[in-house]
Amino acid sequence: MGIPIYPPKIEDPLFQGYYDGLEAGELRITADAETGEWIWYPPEVIPGKPDAVLEWRKVSQEGTAYTFTTVIRSLLPGDHKAEVPFTVVLFEPDDAPGVRVPGLLVDADDVEPRCGMRLRFQPVQAGDHKIAGFASLD
Amino acid sequence: MIKGNRIAITGVGETPFLRKGEEGVMKMMTRASLAAIADAGLTPKEIDGYISNKYAGHGSDEVAFAIGAGEKRFCATTDSVGGTATSGQALQLAQMAIEAGLARHVLVPYAIQSTKPGGVYGFHAREPQKAGIEMPVGFFGQPTYFATMANRYAHEYGMTEEEQASIPMTYRAWAVLTPSAQKRDPMDLETYRQSPMISTPLRAADCCLTTDGGGAYVVSAIEEARDMPHPVVSVQGLGLGFNNWPQGVLFTQTPCTYDFPGEVSAKLAYAMAGCDPKDLNLAQIYDGFTISALVQTEMLGLCERGEGPRFYAAGHGRPGGRMPINTSGGHMSGGYVPGMNLLIEAVRQLRGKEGDRQVPNARLCAVAGLGGNNHSTTILARS
Repeated sequence: MGIPIYPPKIEDPLFQGYYDGLEAGELRITADAETGEWIWYPPEVIPGKPDAVLEWRKVSQEGTAYTFTTVIRSLLPGDHKAEVPFTVVLFEPDDAPGVRVPGLLVDADDVEPRCGMRLRFQPVQAGDHKIAGFASLD
Repeated sequence: MIKGNRIAITGVGETPFLRKGEEGVMKMMTRASLAAIADAGLTPKEIDGYISNKYAGHGSDEVAFAIGAGEKRFCATTDSVGGTATSGQALQLAQMAIEAGLARHVLVPYAIQSTKPGGVYGFHAREPQKAGIEMPVGFFGQPTYFATMANRYAHEYGMTEEEQASIPMTYRAWAVLTPSAQKRDPMDLETYRQSPMISTPLRAADCCLTTDGGGAYVVSAIEEARDMPHPVVSVQGLGLGFNNWPQGVLFTQTPCTYDFPGEVSAKLAYAMAGCDPKDLNLAQIYDGFTISALVQTEMLGLCERGEGPRFYAAGHGRPGGRMPINTSGGHMSGGYVPGMNLLIEAVRQLRGKEGDRQVPNARLCAVAGLGGNNHSTTILARS
């Protein structure tokens, strides 16, 4: 299985905390700083609360796969033929119901992906940056 | 609340649907518009209303100039996506304009140049959340998004490869009978399996075509339509459904990622038309992908929730089936001018002159349009 190489736009401050977390080996998502409600992906405006502030919080490193797909033909801009196949999962952290983080299924050569599979966060080096990765616990 | 049987689609027209064409969007919209106006028995000078599509990139001023139109009295732009805009919201706006006396004959043009650099995925790349979080892990492009929906659907309801394949095979069976369809070679399970896998479980055959092409239609008051060249095809029911999930988070964060607002739009449309799914003679369903067509088939009430795979595998949508679906090949085999070629085909079937693919005694047809976080159901009737 391959690894997609596509640099994130980390110059966008909306996502800085996410990539800081990956570098630190943590999965961090955004929450309303006042109420603690998970607000994910980070929006420019918290619904109904334009003055509210988002903060980055660490979430559980274990969770389940809501769904998945194995990409055979990458549709990313540019030439990515050498990077396929790879499997993308939508990861739901155990302590953040309803939140989904897209990431790469790692160590996946002998794994049959399925909805509901148990996963553990395991960031992956993709070129000169880290991306979210998840390893099967099944 | 708007009422049914007040407006009619009096003219339809399109360009050839090509894998790669030579003409740009503006020229294709112009050709399709002139064909639709002529089909309605009108001249461009008689067009006084326009519904533009924000994704076409050309406003009504450009279209009016290009077709040599007369005085413009009304114009508006749809604020939805895909089939919702072309086969649903545009009709709603046209009806409002006509019933308010603001226009007599409203033109709805659209064209797509899928082969243009940037292609059909370009607008996804401009979404900050997709560029910031999804693209770096390779989660990008409609086939990939919809593939994750297909796997989730199969997890919840079950869907075999044979059942999934029966959906594009159904639409291809109609395309074989359609001279203007882009893909007319017969498809069986073996040829389906030869189609390249894009993103599991979706093969190229599970995806809409790459098309350069345009389509247009003319909307007129029902009273006017009775004196125009074709049998009257009226709008009996029209429903729009929306959810408030922005496109940037739509494919990952909605509680059920394939729960399009189609049940809402269908309920509104059936109520307005005063009919039930069992009253329909045929349907045109926005088939961007097998999974989205499947789910909308259920949302329109053509089968029970979770039974779409069995419905298609049993052949109910094929020629001779109990509910013919996508009778010119749909977007997977006919051509992909989002929503537009489905609506045009509905009108033609209701006129009743489609030769080998004509559905006998076609009187009532539903057209489902999908735009991600929005959905339309339109019910057309031969009056």
